[in-house]
Amino acid sequence: MALIIFYCMAVLILISAILMVTSRNIFHSALYLAATLFGVAGIFVLLNSYFIAGIQVLIYIGAVVVLSIFVINLTKKITGENIPQFNKQIIPSFIVAAIAVVLIILAVLKTDWFKRISGGTIAAMDNTAIIGKQFLTDFIIPFEVVSVLLLAALIGAIVLVAKDREDEK
Amino acid sequence: MEVGDLNIILLGYLIPFLPLLAFIIIVSMTKKFRLTSAIISISAIFISFLLSLILLYFRLKDTNAHNFIEYNLPWLSLGNFNLNVGILINNLTAIMLIVVTTVSLLVQIYSIGYMHGDDGFSRFFAFISLFSFSMLGIVVSNNLLQLYIFWELVGLCSYLLIGFWYHKPEASDAAKKAFVVTRFGDFGFLLGILILTYNAGTFNFIEIEHYLKAGNMDAGLLTIVILLLFCGAVGKSGQFPLHVWLPDAMEGPTPVSALIHAATMVAAGVFMVARLFDIFSLSSDALKIIAYIGGFTAIFSATIALTQDDIKRVLAYSTLSQLGYMMLALGVSGYTAGMFHLYTHAFFKALLFLCAGSVIHAMHTNNIWEMGGLHKKMPITSITFLIAAFAISGIFPLSGFWSKDEILVNVYESGNKILYYAAVITAFLTAFYMFRLYFVTFTGNLKDEHAHESPAVMTVPLILLALLSIISGFVGIPGTEKSIYNFLYTGEHPHEVAMNLKIAISSNIVALSGILFAFLIYGLKLIKAETMKKITGPFYVISKNKYFIDEIYLFLIRKIFFAITEFVKWFDRHIVDGAVNLVAFLCRWAGAKLRLTINGNVQSYALIIFSGMILIIAVFAIYNPEALRIFGGR
Amino acid sequence: MITLGHYIVLSVLLFGIGVFGILTRRNAIGILMSLELIFNAVNINMVAFSKFLTPDLVYGELFAIFIIAVAAAESVLGLAIILAIYRKKQTVNADEMNIMKY
Repeated sequence: MALIIFYCMAVLILISAILMVTSRNIFHSALYLAATLFGVAGIFVLLNSYFIAGIQVLIYIGAVVVLSIFVINLTKKITGENIPQFNKQIIPSFIVAAIAVVLIILAVLKTDWFKRISGGTIAAMDNTAIIGKQFLTDFIIPFEVVSVLLLAALIGAIVLVAKDREDEK
Repeated sequence: MEVGDLNIILLGYLIPFLPLLAFIIIVSMTKKFRLTSAIISISAIFISFLLSLILLYFRLKDTNAHNFIEYNLPWLSLGNFNLNVGILINNLTAIMLIVVTTVSLLVQIYSIGYMHGDDGFSRFFAFISLFSFSMLGIVVSNNLLQLYIFWELVGLCSYLLIGFWYHKPEASDAAKKAFVVTRFGDFGFLLGILILTYNAGTFNFIEIEHYLKAGNMDAGLLTIVILLLFCGAVGKSGQFPLHVWLPDAMEGPTPVSALIHAATMVAAGVFMVARLFDIFSLSSDALKIIAYIGGFTAIFSATIALTQDDIKRVLAYSTLSQLGYMMLALGVSGYTAGMFHLYTHAFFKALLFLCAGSVIHAMHTNNIWEMGGLHKKMPITSITFLIAAFAISGIFPLSGFWSKDEILVNVYESGNKILYYAAVITAFLTAFYMFRLYFVTFTGNLKDEHAHESPAVMTVPLILLALLSIISGFVGIPGTEKSIYNFLYTGEHPHEVAMNLKIAISSNIVALSGILFAFLIYGLKLIKAETMKKITGPFYVISKNKYFIDEIYLFLIRKIFFAITEFVKWFDRHIVDGAVNLVAFLCRWAGAKLRLTINGNVQSYALIIFSGMILIIAVFAIYNPEALRIFGGR
Repeated sequence: MITLGHYIVLSVLLFGIGVFGILTRRNAIGILMSLELIFNAVNINMVAFSKFLTPDLVYGELFAIFIIAVAAAESVLGLAIILAIYRKKQTVNADEMNIMKY
């Protein structure tokens, strides 16, 4: 049962991803990205990490994709271009990416993961509480640093996009 | 060392040095003062002459002919290898020193008269002194490197003196020709020296001789080395096939021809073979080749001399012929005979040239057919020329007879019939052409009334040389104990010097018949010269044109040598330069291609980075068997 | 039975697609979106390993949370830069942004 759901999610993810990188219309790309991220959230649920799934949907889809769509709209020309989205390097990139994928998958498949670890099933426990606790005890410094980072990003973005006073005049 | 030895060593270094000093003084200081230059040069050579006499006296006192004195001044020392400025004084050296200094002295005195009024008067004496220094250097050297250095110096002086009147194109061409042709010989000489010293580890004659006598060198290689050394003699002494420069060298002033191209420089080749005779005698094959080359040159040049019209050319071919005789003698191991002939030849040949110079000076032409009947106007020249002509023909009891006879005896005793008959025929031809020259030039009708005898400064050397031509032979009477043979002979076997009457008489008859024949044609004019020309037909043409050898050489150079140089030029231009250009082109091409990777496009950079990463992984995977296990199995 | 291998293969495939997208998309925003795909692939990897190997320790999941946070911050800044470039050059094509070439 879980396997079927897994395959459905996997297919959803991969197809959305492929459609995303090949779509001509950038707006469609953004929507496909959202679909992909939904699929990934589903995978997280399968892995019994509900917290991560939630965060994924909230932040990635809710913030990042939405922001991308904003920027797409801001940078679209009025006539709307549907130019082919592939640049000159499509063939070499395809080959390189394919080789990379094949190599790694070969390595992965040949490894017998379960002689090395005991058990083969996912822990059924949901770790939200433990995550929370870890944030405020062992991982408090990264937690704070990430906050500062987000602040810096915020200020940086505002500075980058602010209009110069002279431009207005 | 005894005091006597020390004196000899001092003399050995001083004798060549004095003319060098004269050269330096003339070149640096007295160029403008003609007579001063001449006096400096002559005094230098005169003192050298006196010193040579003293040295000869010392050597005569020493009854052991095998003794020698050697001395080395160290010059350069590289580990085991030592280069020295050394002298080797033995009896051979003593004789040769006398020859060189005597002829040089007499020629220089003669030149005061001959070169009178010439613009390059001082330059002439400077060069003659330099030449004397170089020649004396060859004579006293004791090692191959020093010999070679002086050898080249002599060649240089020859070039300078042949091309003395450098504004005459024929003269400068002749000088170049002399230099280039002898260069061929010198190249072989150098190769021989290098191989020999590489094997023997030393340049010194005596050490090399010991090395070779100990059997250290393979016989075939030894023959080749000796023949290479002989190449130098072929070039310098005008043996066939490098004889072509000597007739053209007659473009130089006649004193130069007398000194260099008759008596001394061309004798250097013969001297070198004699000096190194202990080495040369180790290979009988090489000696045989030397004998044949010498014999062939003798008869070959004699046939050319029969038809030449230029008085100096006849004498030049005569010199070639006599040098052939000397090489022939050395080739049949008649080492003393060869040297004896060199010694007598120097005197009468120099005399012949100086007489020719006298005639040319008076008649302002070299062509014998424009001369005639000069006996009346120039008696001294005529008589001395006659004496020299008798000497060169080998008529008893002049000097030429004794030396030529000895050569004939040696050739006969070597058992080689061909060479003996060649030598005898050459003797006939020699007598014929010399007397042809005499009769045409000095007898008959007087063509030019203005001819006059030369001044005393020119005729006195002629008379002295004539005297020497008469008496210098008497030191070589076979059978006497104090003869030149015993003086020069350094071999082990007792030397048989009995007189061979059969050969002596037959050679005289042959020479007299040659003289008679010439008298009939040119003296009495009983047989017309034109009929002779018609009878001999094609031989006459070939002989007159020097067997067309110059033309053949020119053809070979044009066809073969220039073809090779054309190829080399093509090779250099297209392949060698092409390789260099190719490198530059590759750099530019690579740069042009690589430039395309820096296109400012970040995605292409990312592609390159990513590909590199994959490449590294792939290389690791292939070359690391551990990693390969991951891809291929457990 | 879903094994760890399944999750890793999925992650690698997603990663490959993301790399392909980065190297070929013309629109700069498209590049950034492909970058998000890569981040997600890594996240799946992290969480899967954490859940399979060390169920009691939550380090993988924590790290995944950090990745999400940092990725968000970075995409914000990237989009801000694209906007700034758009204002100057009136284009978002990555092909035309090549003033770094000399």
